[in-house]
Amino acid sequence: MTARIPVTVLTGYLGAGKTTLVNRILSENHGKRIAVIENEFGEVGVDHELVIGADEEIFETSNGCICCTVRGDLIRILGQLRKRRDRFDSVLIETTGLADPGPVAQTFFIDEELKEHYTLDAIVTLVDARHIEQELEHSQIALEQIAFADVILLNKIDLVDAAALERIERRVRGISATAAVIHSRNAEVPLERVLSLGAFDLERALALDNAFLEPARPFEWAGLYCLPPGRHALHTGAHGHGHDHDRDHEHHHEGSQPLAQVDLVLLPAQDTTAASIDALLERATALFEGEPTTAAPGSLLAAERRYRLQLAEHAQFQLEAGAAAGWVLFTEHAPVEFGLQLQGVSPLQQREFGSHHHDLAVGSIGLTDVRALDPNKVNDWLSYLLQSRGADILRMKGVLNLKGENRRYVFHGVHMVFDGQLERAWSADAPRRSRLVFIGRKLDRAELEAGFESCVA
Amino acid sequence: MNAAPGRLRPRERIELGDYPVDAAWSADGNNLAVAGGEGGVLLLSMASPQQPRVIGRHDGGVLALSWQPAGRLFASSGQDGIVLLWDARSLESTAIHRGKEWSEQLAFADNGRLLAVSIGRALQVFDQHGQATHRFADHAGAIAALAWRPKSAEIAAAGNGGVRIHRLSAQPQSRDYPWRGACLTASWNTDGRLLAAGMQDGSVHLWNVASDDESEMPGLGSKVFATGWSANGKFLAAAAGAALVIWDFSARGAERSRPTELQAHSERITALAFRPSGSWLASAARDRRLLLWRIGGANEPQDAHLLADDCTLLRFSRDGTRLAVGDARGGMTIYDCTP
Repeated sequence: MTARIPVTVLTGYLGAGKTTLVNRILSENHGKRIAVIENEFGEVGVDHELVIGADEEIFETSNGCICCTVRGDLIRILGQLRKRRDRFDSVLIETTGLADPGPVAQTFFIDEELKEHYTLDAIVTLVDARHIEQELEHSQIALEQIAFADVILLNKIDLVDAAALERIERRVRGISATAAVIHSRNAEVPLERVLSLGAFDLERALALDNAFLEPARPFEWAGLYCLPPGRHALHTGAHGHGHDHDRDHEHHHEGSQPLAQVDLVLLPAQDTTAASIDALLERATALFEGEPTTAAPGSLLAAERRYRLQLAEHAQFQLEAGAAAGWVLFTEHAPVEFGLQLQGVSPLQQREFGSHHHDLAVGSIGLTDVRALDPNKVNDWLSYLLQSRGADILRMKGVLNLKGENRRYVFHGVHMVFDGQLERAWSADAPRRSRLVFIGRKLDRAELEAGFESCVA
Repeated sequence: MNAAPGRLRPRERIELGDYPVDAAWSADGNNLAVAGGEGGVLLLSMASPQQPRVIGRHDGGVLALSWQPAGRLFASSGQDGIVLLWDARSLESTAIHRGKEWSEQLAFADNGRLLAVSIGRALQVFDQHGQATHRFADHAGAIAALAWRPKSAEIAAAGNGGVRIHRLSAQPQSRDYPWRGACLTASWNTDGRLLAAGMQDGSVHLWNVASDDESEMPGLGSKVFATGWSANGKFLAAAAGAALVIWDFSARGAERSRPTELQAHSERITALAFRPSGSWLASAARDRRLLLWRIGGANEPQDAHLLADDCTLLRFSRDGTRLAVGDARGGMTIYDCTP
């Protein structure tokens, strides 16, 4: 059988820079034959030999299941394109800014004929750094385009400052913990990072930071300070320190509205090691679940209480520290997002936790285990899960250690459909660690953990 | 299997130098027009089949062909958005339509006087001089299949959301037969009462246009890419994945009776064609097997051949004595068919 042609799906909200990227791909001398399927509102010249217009026709099924919808126009167009003898090296599909990436991606898992000749290589989502925060406030589509992505191109980074960029990147990672995030201006990105990723390294994508494998915390950051007893000034509202200030800060940063308030908790620590932060996690979580005390600028903040700081430009507060080996400050948002600075001291230890923007119903949950899994149990569990939760699970990716199998089982899926195969062998000198990631709406970590546990052989 | 020898007898394989996307026999069966995936419009004469003539091209690839019944005209359409009307005697062509959208479906009416052409979501009808006579632009989705209703001036256009039947009288009338789902094929039975559509979701939908009944026959497992009726009107065949399913309409209520699944292909079926007389059916699949069945008789193939590559098309000549078999390697093999 001839090799399947890799397909890249390009999504992104209106104005994110998709047309710029497509034009670059068509005009650059990269020596590859790339067929471009453009949406009907596309601005790329369709007189180009390799550009074909599509009308985004959605095929529903009689039972109405959204997980079975496919793109009829793609089935027709790609069905015809494969009959040319001088085949393409790859295909790029541009979707409209308001398109749901689900049916596009599902088409490559569901339609048998297409599956024989094409393979979904990656979903690339362009994000307009200047506008994405506003878009995420009101657009479910903008959110899901990020959730579906394998590669996120954070574009127009020259139009936001460093603090906003860091905040945006944290938020994007809070939605999809597995996507590769690439920064760009004017959609300038090496094409090999976007097209024909081929053996798209699922394992690299799944080499997740630990925060993502843990239960969600109501705080994003913890910092351990050595504070002598007494009062300490806590400053807010300045730009994040230690960032690039060389850039032009004169223009207006539309995407960077300041936070109006932020919650925090101060707790005494046993010592100044990183482990002393871990020891306080449950206590801090419990306090964050209680009612907050509103604190106006200038307020005195005591330990063991949840405060809700009212932020204003350069608002200042006082921390009241007693006698303790160390003090840990837990904050609802990362310090860079509200310009946190304790006068005269820097944290000795810091830990970041998953972003938990309250407006996001979409997030990622990662599971990992070194015990071998029973293939039949995995199959039963995934079948059950996809049937019961398929509409809410947007993406699923995994590398599994199956009992009696020397090779890695690697798979990825969209909604209820997935495609997997045995790939290279596990190395002999490291534990065979299964990794599984779900990206979706209203995911229940406890439910997923219990299901995963039930698969252990 | 007990294949009776010689029901399908292959002549030599013809190297086309192009991927056969579509093909259409002339009325007398002496010529075969072939649509090439690379863009060539080819003509094969049965007098000298080894010298296929490239008579024209469509940039980007040919999409479809249709030959006028009992006439010398045929039409071709391509990825260039052009529809050409050919005269097989002079080998000259006229562009009867140019546009941005693809025309993937071409169908001459039985009387040969009208040519129906899909243009994206619109249906355009031309006379045999290439003059546009009717246009129906209001289809909900792209037209996936066209089928003239036998012995009438009506044409069914199937697509996403059901079928629309247009009556081409002085006062054109259109009627919708909606169904939630995407129709991929449209096949009328010989008396024009029943219309079957293969669906993307693995079902066959059947409309009885005479009685206004409809029924859904689900459970074929994958998309139904081909449907067809036997010439004697008794049997409906559908191909979905490796499954070849037959319904027997010789008794009433066939849509509620249990269909027969013919099991011989191990991979996805890529082409299906009923012989224009009797109840003989040819099928070919990615297992590279070409099988000939007598529907209503034994549930075993009556002849079997191994092909050079995946079959791209099966076309019986109008008298049923020849079968053109295209393969993905760029060849066309003509079989004599004398069952």
